[in-house]
Amino acid sequence: MEASIRTVNLTKKFHQVVANDAVSFDVLPGEIHCLLGENGAGKSTLAECLYGFYKPDKGQIFIDGKEVDISSPAEAIGYGIGMVHQHFVLVSSLSVLENIVVGTKSQGLLLDLRAAEKKIKSLCDYYNVELDLHAKVWQLPVGQQQWVEILKTLYVGAQILILDEPTAVLTPEESKMLFKILQLMTDDNMSVILISHKLNEVLQSDRVTILRKGKKVATVTTAESSKEELTSKMVGREINATLEKKPMKAGKHFLAIKNLKAKNDRGQEALKGFDLTVRTGEIVGIAGVAGNGQKELFETLIGVRKATEGEIYLNGVDIVNRDPKYIQKLGVAFIPEDRFAEGLVSDFTVEENLILGNHCDKKFKKNGFLNFKEILVFAKECINKFDIQTPSEKTLTRTLSGGNAQKVIVAREFAQNAQLTLANQPSRGLDVGVIEYMHQMLLKKRDEKGGILMASEDLEELFNIADTIVVMHDGQIMGSFPVAEADINTIGLLMAGHADQPGPSQQVDT
Amino acid sequence: MIFGRFKIEPRLEPKLSWQIVSILLAVMMSAIVCAIMLNSAGVDVGKAFYLIFEGAFGTWKAVIKTLVKATPLILTGLAVTVAFRAKIWNIGAEGQLFAGAITSYWAYTMFQGAPSFILIVMVILSASIGGALYGGLAGYLKAKFSVNEVLSTVMLNYIIRYVLSFLLISGPWRDPSSFYQQSSRIIQAAKYPMLFGISRLHMGFAIALVLALVVYLFLTRTSLGYEIRSIGFNPKASRFKGINVDRTIIIVMMISGGIAGLAGAGELFGVHYRLKPDISHGFGFLGIIIAMLAALHPFGVILAATLFGGLVNGGIRLQVFTGIPTAMISSIQAIILLFFLTAAVLTRFEIRRVKANE
Repeated sequence: MEASIRTVNLTKKFHQVVANDAVSFDVLPGEIHCLLGENGAGKSTLAECLYGFYKPDKGQIFIDGKEVDISSPAEAIGYGIGMVHQHFVLVSSLSVLENIVVGTKSQGLLLDLRAAEKKIKSLCDYYNVELDLHAKVWQLPVGQQQWVEILKTLYVGAQILILDEPTAVLTPEESKMLFKILQLMTDDNMSVILISHKLNEVLQSDRVTILRKGKKVATVTTAESSKEELTSKMVGREINATLEKKPMKAGKHFLAIKNLKAKNDRGQEALKGFDLTVRTGEIVGIAGVAGNGQKELFETLIGVRKATEGEIYLNGVDIVNRDPKYIQKLGVAFIPEDRFAEGLVSDFTVEENLILGNHCDKKFKKNGFLNFKEILVFAKECINKFDIQTPSEKTLTRTLSGGNAQKVIVAREFAQNAQLTLANQPSRGLDVGVIEYMHQMLLKKRDEKGGILMASEDLEELFNIADTIVVMHDGQIMGSFPVAEADINTIGLLMAGHADQPGPSQQVDT
Repeated sequence: MIFGRFKIEPRLEPKLSWQIVSILLAVMMSAIVCAIMLNSAGVDVGKAFYLIFEGAFGTWKAVIKTLVKATPLILTGLAVTVAFRAKIWNIGAEGQLFAGAITSYWAYTMFQGAPSFILIVMVILSASIGGALYGGLAGYLKAKFSVNEVLSTVMLNYIIRYVLSFLLISGPWRDPSSFYQQSSRIIQAAKYPMLFGISRLHMGFAIALVLALVVYLFLTRTSLGYEIRSIGFNPKASRFKGINVDRTIIIVMMISGGIAGLAGAGELFGVHYRLKPDISHGFGFLGIIIAMLAALHPFGVILAATLFGGLVNGGIRLQVFTGIPTAMISSIQAIILLFFLTAAVLTRFEIRRVKANE
């Protein structure tokens, strides 16, 4: 069978970095083909080369056996290639119909959307998807927005669909729906290239091409492979899949949040009466798709966002609406969602970032000036202890990889010896090795009687390390479960907002 | 960006060698353009350049004049540097300069009878306090009401100028013996002493140098300086880690205004010996250019201010000896500044040849 798309020795460099190193792979008609790899492995770059966004430095691309030169996305679309990016490129204020039609050649001087509407409606019917074509995009949930992105490609006749991390923003239910649609597409002999690092999804594909550090490691038939094999090929070594987690020795409730309400940046209610407690020695994991108030919750807890109502008690002290410095001094550490925008000053050196927040401490001062010697000692300690890969402590933090940047934040926060550690999506975008390391550190803290409150979109992660899983949806707790009693389907439904699911709920004591 | 076979991309880390090359390129290009302009005006180009150099650094006397011209520019350059490091766009150094001049003159009237030392100390103190309060006002408006500091400082520039006019025309400080908008001449005891007895080189120059060192140490070695740089680079992360961004904004504007205020006192008590609108020829705005040429480094400010002072003196000598119009002198200065500013920006980008199959 002739491959619908094939690359031979495709190479792409950025300055001195070789993002794709002589990658040869092919995708057959009617197959779901996954590109698997860690961050920086080259998956997105490869996809962008296929989509005409980048021009390869070397190598060839064949479509249906004919060699092609794809020098722009428009040309890629002409060849039947469509791509849905991780971050959607929709115009929120326009309708679904307008978004799909904009930029296509189907419109003359006057806008006639009727023919387009008919065609799109028939596509939706074919794939069994209900969608109001006249709804404005901003009104749609994320899952439907993604479908609009896919429709855009189908509308212009895509036969090869590339999806970059499509389920990162979907609930388990929405992911299932997506895969049903992909299956229908491949039944029609379309090709689907799925970029993902989520092994559960990768296992639903037909074949997987594993990339590592720019090179292709292997292409395997999924049915003949296993999670362990895929992971070890992706990382290059054996990964200890099971984390050593001691049984929880929880103490008293030391963090109590009662009826917390807060607004988001747009002035809308983001926290709508949030209740939660954390005990010493306990890891509480907040499950939920990002955007349901997690960001606002953590910002309110550390004092950066105003709470409009409610109470937050830390060891009996009401800290609601106190300033961040006060809360930090009481023993709260925070690993924010956006590493470089919220957690670090990228233009500072690693050293300078390690003392951020503690730069006024007596131990870093001498005669009123900063004590550079002490700061250096502290920085070297942190770099050693947390294995931060950096040329020197004086390196600018923005040159660090995501994983190492996160390590700087973790090192800094753990050095506080805080009683309460807050973490919002701490593993997002990190490599398996770094995630493993961070989980170990979090568990250690929990064994040392610290309390941890973390939010994560990765349910697997929560099931691995949390003691209690709570589900957050639309600014409220939908349910709370000790991890042993948690059931992924129930949690998935709660995440999507379906209330009244069976399961124990939490008592709030102070 | 792609132009034919070339591509312009941001450079990962600016190399020092490139920065030096770009400065030399700027010198060369501005020399060429100025030469063309002078030539078309019928001026002997070689003679013109020589006169500029002579006026700037040719004789010992010229060097002193250059340093004196540089003094207010060092101070306003430092004032702007401190604010810009925090990404607070203080366009009001000019107004803060005058605020400092006004308050220092007021202190002069209050302490006239005191011994010279006390008088001058009070003058310096009040200049910095006056400038600090005026700058702090803009800072407070920004912190408390999110008023854009570009707008507020520019408007405050105008306000203080009108206050000055009032004080000197219909107000209490008018010089009764003249028609000009100026105060009466200050007494001998209030004049800034000359450094090492060198005539014209007043104490303001020493203050400027010392302040450059102080600002450098402050920015790099104190925790407040750390906070200033932190909020300049990333106010969000700074806030997340407990830095009081609002309070720091006000402090930064007070420091900035205070330094600019000293520039005002220096021109009043070291050069003109009267309070009048002429004590500044846009020094506050030139401070912005100097700060940027110096890449916001205090020692670079000294260098840039000195070079600019030299350029001004050179221009004066050129005009005196060739009679070419002032506009042309200003054009020469502007051309040189434009090329240097361009060089400063260009070192942050690089041009790569696009390969055939890219």
